[in-house]
Amino acid sequence: MALDQMNEMSDETLLDLYGQGDPAAARALTLRLTPRVLGYAARLLTDRAEAEDVTQEAMLRLWKMAPDWRSGEAKVSTWLYRVVTNLCTDRLRRTRGVDIDAVPEPEDDQPAADERLQQATRMAALDKALATLPDRQREAVVLRHIEGLSNPEIAEILDISVEAVESLTARGKRALAAALSDQREELEYSNG
Amino acid sequence: MVKHTEDHSHLDLLFQEARETSVEPSSDLLARVLDDGLAHMPVAEVAVAPVSRAPAWRRFLSALGGWPAAAGLVTAAVTGVSIGYAAPGPVGNVTSGFGLEIGTGYDVVDLIPSMDGFYAEVEG
Repeated sequence: MALDQMNEMSDETLLDLYGQGDPAAARALTLRLTPRVLGYAARLLTDRAEAEDVTQEAMLRLWKMAPDWRSGEAKVSTWLYRVVTNLCTDRLRRTRGVDIDAVPEPEDDQPAADERLQQATRMAALDKALATLPDRQREAVVLRHIEGLSNPEIAEILDISVEAVESLTARGKRALAAALSDQREELEYSNG
Repeated sequence: MVKHTEDHSHLDLLFQEARETSVEPSSDLLARVLDDGLAHMPVAEVAVAPVSRAPAWRRFLSALGGWPAAAGLVTAAVTGVSIGYAAPGPVGNVTSGFGLEIGTGYDVVDLIPSMDGFYAEVEG
C-alpha cells in the first residue's frame, strides 16, 4: 500500500497493519510518531541526545507491543505519551534535577532572519522555565498546552484524576509565568 | 489581576509558538527507529504454493478428475458387474442380435494347454 494512502489512516489502523507484517505501516508510523515523541521527550528532558534515546526506546516498546494491541481499548498516542512520560521520569530521577544551564542556547552560527532568531530565543527561554517546574507539573503543562491533549487524556497518561490535572496545569502555568516574568521584555513579540 | 491576565496571555502566545515549532528528528534517528520496527515486525503470512502432501489415494482421485469422475467410474463398474452377474441371458439376446454368437466360440479352458498336447509334443 502506498505511503500517502497510509497518511489518511489512524495510528491504530497502522499499528494493526504493522502487526500483520506490513513494512509500509512501519515506515508510516515511524514518520508520524517519531517527531511527536521526540518533541515531547525534548520538552521534558531539555536534552536532545537523551530525548533521542527515549524516543528510540519508546518506539521500540511500541513495536514489541504491536502484536498484543487490541483496537478500541486505548489510543496509540495516549499509550505512547505514557511510556515517554515514564521513561523521562526515570531518567530525571536518575540524574536528579535538570541542569538548567545545559538547556541549549539558540544557535546563531548561521545567518538567520531576526524573527527566527527571536523565536529560537523564546523557545529556549520556555524550555528553561519548564525545566524549573516539578516533574508532574511540567508533564501536565507540556501535555496540555504544547501537545494539546485534553484533561481526561492527560489524566489517563499520568494516572491521576482530571481534577489533579487541572490543579497541576494551573499551578504550572503560574510558576512558568513567574519564571519568565524577568525575561518578559527580552521575549516580547516584535509584532505583538 | 490585570497583571495575571497579561502574564498568561504572553504565556499562551509562547505555548502556541511551541505547538507550531515542530521538532525535526534527524535522519539517523528515523533510520534507527525504522530498523527496530522492521526487526521486530511480525512475519506476514505469505501465500506459499501448496506442496502436495495428500495421501496416494487422494492424489489418485485427483488424477481421475475428483469425486464426480470417481463416482461415475464406480457406477459404471457396478452396473457392468451386476449386468454380467444377474442377467447374462438378455445380454446374450442383445449380442446375438448384433450377429455375435456368445457361447459357441472358444472358452477360457480351451486356451489352457492340455496334457495330451504336451505328450504329443514330447513324442513327436
